[in-house]
Amino acid sequence: MLDIVLILAALGCWLAASFIPLFKLLDERFYLGLGVLGSLLAVVGALHVLITGNASGLDFVFWKLPARIEVDALSAAFLLPLNLVAGLGIIYQSEYWPTSMVTGRSVRGLFGLLAASLMLVFIARQGILFLMAWEVMAMSAFLLIGTEHGTPQVQRASWIYLMCTHTGTLLLIAAVALLAHRCGDLLWIPHPGLPDSSLDSAIMVLALLGFGIKAGFLPLHFWLPEAHAWAPSHVSAILSGVMLKAGLYGIIRLSGLVPTTPAFLGGLVLTLGAVTAVYGVINALAQSDFKRLLAYSSIENIGIIGIGLGLGWTGRAYHESWLTALGFAGAVFHIWNHSVFKGLLFFGAGSLLHATGTRKIEALGGLAKRMPQTALVIFPAVLAVAALPPFNAFLSEWFLYRGLLSSFQRGESWAACLALPALAISGGLAAVAFAKFFGFVFLGEPRTSAVEHAHDPGKAMMLPMVILALLCVGLGLGSVLLLPLLDHVVGVVAPEATGLLVLGIGPDLALLSWMLALLLVLGALGFLWLRRSRRNLTTRPPTWDCGYARPTARMQYTASSFSAGWASLVPGCKERMRRVRAVFPRPLTYRSEFQDAVGEAFVEPRVDRLAERLLRFRQLQHGHLSLYILYILLALLGVFLWMLVRARLLG
Amino acid sequence: MLSDFLIALIMLTNFSLVTTSRINKSIQFAVLQGVLLGLLPLTMGLWRIPHIVLLAAAAVAVKGWLIPSLFRRALQQVKIDREVGPYIGFSASLLLCALGTGLSMLLAHNLPLKLGTANPLFVPASLATLFTGFLLLVSRRKALTQVVGYLVLENGIYLFALLLVEEMPLLVEAGILLDLFVGIFVMGIVINHIRVAFDSIDTRHLAELKD
Repeated sequence: MLDIVLILAALGCWLAASFIPLFKLLDERFYLGLGVLGSLLAVVGALHVLITGNASGLDFVFWKLPARIEVDALSAAFLLPLNLVAGLGIIYQSEYWPTSMVTGRSVRGLFGLLAASLMLVFIARQGILFLMAWEVMAMSAFLLIGTEHGTPQVQRASWIYLMCTHTGTLLLIAAVALLAHRCGDLLWIPHPGLPDSSLDSAIMVLALLGFGIKAGFLPLHFWLPEAHAWAPSHVSAILSGVMLKAGLYGIIRLSGLVPTTPAFLGGLVLTLGAVTAVYGVINALAQSDFKRLLAYSSIENIGIIGIGLGLGWTGRAYHESWLTALGFAGAVFHIWNHSVFKGLLFFGAGSLLHATGTRKIEALGGLAKRMPQTALVIFPAVLAVAALPPFNAFLSEWFLYRGLLSSFQRGESWAACLALPALAISGGLAAVAFAKFFGFVFLGEPRTSAVEHAHDPGKAMMLPMVILALLCVGLGLGSVLLLPLLDHVVGVVAPEATGLLVLGIGPDLALLSWMLALLLVLGALGFLWLRRSRRNLTTRPPTWDCGYARPTARMQYTASSFSAGWASLVPGCKERMRRVRAVFPRPLTYRSEFQDAVGEAFVEPRVDRLAERLLRFRQLQHGHLSLYILYILLALLGVFLWMLVRARLLG
Repeated sequence: MLSDFLIALIMLTNFSLVTTSRINKSIQFAVLQGVLLGLLPLTMGLWRIPHIVLLAAAAVAVKGWLIPSLFRRALQQVKIDREVGPYIGFSASLLLCALGTGLSMLLAHNLPLKLGTANPLFVPASLATLFTGFLLLVSRRKALTQVVGYLVLENGIYLFALLLVEEMPLLVEAGILLDLFVGIFVMGIVINHIRVAFDSIDTRHLAELKD
């Protein structure tokens, strides 16, 4: 009971915070205080639920229908990253998007609304309530993405998002209605004892499509890169870190509600996850815009989480509790990790944008010298996203590797055989993509004048990044302590698989933690030793000096040349360059264009063609008032005549 | 008996409305129709109920005095006096109006309505008036005649509402009257703006405004 009160108080804080910018008298500190208070309350409540594993809920009547809000370990597992990223986001926002900006107030209000609606999404246990919260979340995100609506690309990105999210909601309404029909009421609580029905499969497919659009599974992801690239960076952080996961939450929640989870779900999600992960990371490689790169990396991570969930459901279908536990725990752990490191990366991207004003990787370079603190703080996230030890994502992928390997050994599911190499490939390619990101933004020499006046951001922007960077390391080292928490989450999703984690994977993690700590200490010692020897240098030459007489910044590798070899892998990447022929060749140009293989190359031309065909209906819109009224008259007469004829026909 | 007579008069005004080409004549007919409608509840033996009397007085005041004065102002501003070249000619309009009235009779007999003590002519008369209003709105070119059509349309709705006059709260009736008044008021202003913008009140020019 205490926990739900805490969570509700936090929800109230966020809601109140979202209204504060409406009043000009109340200032920023009040808003910040309320938001931080809300997130602290929610973090405490969610942690308490996760540690004890006890759910607490509240029944009430909503529009004359019974309704329920409840926070159990699964809800808490999503409330935790939400409030972490949102709380740090508004601290970050106070410097990144000051109130003096034209959109300062509206962004503040909508950000609070987005956080509040997301909280309600995670605790609502009734169909209508959930859909309402879902829609408020989608709309506030739409308005946030369209913050800089003066730019045509922003308009385009936000409209595409709006269409996608509404298509998703339409499918979800159908899923919720079917579920209500199946269970007899709208409450989202388990209904034991219902007979099997083929409706369950239909519900799950609808949910997978509807929530899949929000989460960004492969063919439904195309709204995501644009929206994340054009939203303000702290908004991208919460979109990528939390809102995508709301889709995953929905799938997990509904799979626990349908009386029988269909057997194909595991294999399907596993395959989807594997394909999404590889597709996301290959596209991330080809990006020349660092926020789009981060967005595609989010798609990759959604794929990885999908692999975990698929593994869990496969385990349930084959009655292998160990696989189930590893799959779900790995997925939830990766959700936490992803929101920590992707939040950090988007905050970092915001700092870069703030300092240089460009999102082009090719225009940057050498920022480690001008923004040393930012570079240092982002570095853990870069390693974490590539799933390298000693950082957190390495450990969550460890869960998945263990699960996939044991599934592979038992030879149960061909999907696991597909997912194992996919996971490995996406990890490797993510390392390449983020070597490109970090190497060409922070290392080398400045490529354009955009870098000249770059400097580290102030405290309000640094503090959230430092906290997240510490969490990246801390979650990696302290993963053993998280096992009981993950166990409680698994207990909600798959009650038969509880209690296996601590014994099964605890020793692994304890050993890993010690090794990681050792690695960190060694790394720190090595770093210090390098610093000591560098002090002897009298002058520091520019990077890529290589002994040339007159090195220029144009002699270094560029981001495109770095990923050129990989770019041929990307389905939507086009390169254009003439071959160098003569002994003294004339100046040549090189152009590479990127199109998303699904969104821009497939969906967009078809939508354009459809719009062209629908143009003929424009003739109805002629502008003559009399004819409009005639339409009404004819419709009215039609109805009347129908009434007359119906009485004759049907008696 | 008296109410039958009034309803017959109302239906006759419908015919006069569609045949007249003079704008001030058609306004006068619409006003006459409004006043007849305002008096109608009193002839239904309801004059003992105070709020209905109040309502009848308000209806007569609004339709007999306020709206004509608004029309007079609009007429002075736009300086036109006749409807020239309607989309549907006057004799064709008369035929259509007759057809519509016949259809209304037919409909009223077949509609599954629960008629209490009210006059059985109410429903056909209100449908016929509605139809006439629509006909005027659709077939006339000048904005001012279209406003008359709107007024007649509202009269038809008012007549239909009289079926329920005993049950209907005062507020709803008063709301309809206020709605009508504001509608005519705004249209008067709009008409003047149309004239200023296009140098005519022919609504065909409005088609230029579409995107």
